[in-house]
Amino acid sequence: MIDQETIDECLAINARRRAARRHFIKTSAGAIVAAGGLSALSACGDDGENESSPPSPPTSSLPTATANDVAILNLALNLEYLEANYYSFGAFGSGLNATLATGQGTQGTVTGGRAVTFTDATVAAYIREIAADENAHVLFLRSQLGSSAVAQPAINIDGSATGAFTAAARSAGVVSGSGTFDPYASQDNFLLGAVLLTDVGVTAYKGAARLIDSKVFLEASAGILAVEAYHSGLLRTLLYRRGLETDAIFTQFGQISDARDRLDGTGQAFYSGAAQADQDQNIRPQIVGGLEQSNLVPADDNGVVYGRTAGQVLNIAYLNAGTAGVTQGGFFPNGVNGTIRASTIGAA
Amino acid sequence: MVEITADNSDVMHALDSRVHRRGERRDFFKAMMTAGAVGTAGLMLADRAAAQTAAPTDADVLNFALNLEYLEANFYYYAAFGTPIPVASIGTGGVPTNSLALNAGARAVSFSDRAVANYAREIARDELAHVNFLRTALGGAAVAQPQLDLGITPTGAFSNAARAAGFLAAAPATGAPTDFFDPYANDLNFLYGAFIFEDVGVTAYKGASPLLTNKNYLDAAAGILAAEAYHAAIVRTAIDRMGAMPGLLAARPGGTGRTIRDDTEAVSNARDTLDGTTAQAGPPQLFADDDQGLAQTTTGVGLTSNIVPTDSNGIAYSRSTGQTLNIVYLTPYNESRGGFFPNGVNGTIRTASGSARPAAT
Repeated sequence: MIDQETIDECLAINARRRAARRHFIKTSAGAIVAAGGLSALSACGDDGENESSPPSPPTSSLPTATANDVAILNLALNLEYLEANYYSFGAFGSGLNATLATGQGTQGTVTGGRAVTFTDATVAAYIREIAADENAHVLFLRSQLGSSAVAQPAINIDGSATGAFTAAARSAGVVSGSGTFDPYASQDNFLLGAVLLTDVGVTAYKGAARLIDSKVFLEASAGILAVEAYHSGLLRTLLYRRGLETDAIFTQFGQISDARDRLDGTGQAFYSGAAQADQDQNIRPQIVGGLEQSNLVPADDNGVVYGRTAGQVLNIAYLNAGTAGVTQGGFFPNGVNGTIRASTIGAA
Repeated sequence: MVEITADNSDVMHALDSRVHRRGERRDFFKAMMTAGAVGTAGLMLADRAAAQTAAPTDADVLNFALNLEYLEANFYYYAAFGTPIPVASIGTGGVPTNSLALNAGARAVSFSDRAVANYAREIARDELAHVNFLRTALGGAAVAQPQLDLGITPTGAFSNAARAAGFLAAAPATGAPTDFFDPYANDLNFLYGAFIFEDVGVTAYKGASPLLTNKNYLDAAAGILAAEAYHAAIVRTAIDRMGAMPGLLAARPGGTGRTIRDDTEAVSNARDTLDGTTAQAGPPQLFADDDQGLAQTTTGVGLTSNIVPTDSNGIAYSRSTGQTLNIVYLTPYNESRGGFFPNGVNGTIRTASGSARPAAT
């Protein structure tokens, strides 16, 4: 396990370097240098790159957030706490830094989580990237919300028989009613656990877009939506190739997708007003017009990716079907913090 | 023909859901008609001159997006199916892609990797769905398909983009170049062709999101933005799988040791050069440097990939409409045509960012 200080330092350097990399490459006198090819000098791989002068990001004048926007961004922050901890544990064996867990509401602890032994170095690199992005999202949302930011609630990402992942997997049929699903036990399991959470993140940000008052927050939220969709696209692409080799992956993915559909009830395509009972899709190949194609993008027939309301998102996060007004359960044993905390009606 | 080995219920479910989703689209048509959120008549009356100075209308923005979708849909359709998109989807007065000599060589890719072939077909159908959706949303105000350059001629858009990235030798001082880039030649070239567009689509939709005023359009645009990000992730992940192998730059003089990941950085560099260095708080928030390839980094926590191009807040970049046009026109100047759109895009938003092209000396 890597110590927390090193992780935090590395994540911060990673973030700066990604922003600075292009600058560096362009100023290296035409030599196209892959930053990764440079040797590591310190615990955090200080490779001598001039990280003190990345191109300065333009600073947005922070709008005064409406109560509505604060509520929406805080719900997003709860989801980012969940994702950041899951990916940080999987990648580094350690959760989000405790200094980032403070704020409004009841601060909780994280149950479960441990480092995964990845069999592919490239997959390990992907999970580190996603962990860094989710960490950045927590930092960004906390900075935008300031003193209004909610604390990290109690989170259950445990892979034991009593953990939230096992409860989700049992309900989905991925394991038997007495079986255990441990997302940290293998690379495939971790990817399935990851996609379980990340697909929901995409639909949550998509569903929230039309509800945000501030144009500045809307644009930032659209940027996080895009990043969550990149993550989901990455995970689904990896699992697709695995599924072509081992069909059980497609079966398990379908079970997870169907379970989310059961939990979230009937939603709506707000842009058209059409009811959407099915807002989740498996990646399994389909034959269309006599030709095989993938189904990596969970979109409706207009090619528009599905959105979920806050209540629907909480139905899934709480692993709660069929009951409106539930405020805790599943991945958030004591509920999320903030003013949006209740599930909506799920499937009967 | 590929067999689907698992339980047929999933297959049936998928087919059912497709039928169901077609039903949703009909609902959408009805909703648009009754709500009249963008009335056709109202859009027809839009003042073009005013639109250049005032904030663009929602119809202006959606038409801008429609041009980009025409481009993407035709490219993927050629690669996946060997034809341009159906004529029914290009609008009255639309220019069929296969009517232009400059599209010579656009054709179905003979994919060697089953997965990549599957991706191409999925994305092709998504992009056509975007075209049809936007055309329906815009009704009579929808712009027709403009001229597109998706061919493999030495002076065509793909070859020029590849030249900008250094995949081909610089054009000769006199006379026309004879070497060309063929995005239909094999899996990797196809993925490079897709890579040129996909991240740009994401940044274009993100940059346009604060311009939309109608919440229904915003809801739909957010869903298309996400779809484009999924596509970009698929393409980048597929390229990254081959990332350590020698790439196109490796075949160039002095290119020994260059990898496929280095190639993506070269394309990214070219895009960064084309779209200028404007930085503003926004919205849209613009960075001088708004593009990233797939180069990995190594830190104390280990090798880290770069599938997602983001700023240091973990947020995807925006491009203004002008910057987006810089890239698809392949010009750093404030021009109104070029590159993949030889006659420019249709609609009121059609001028790229930047200064005037210096007079020839």
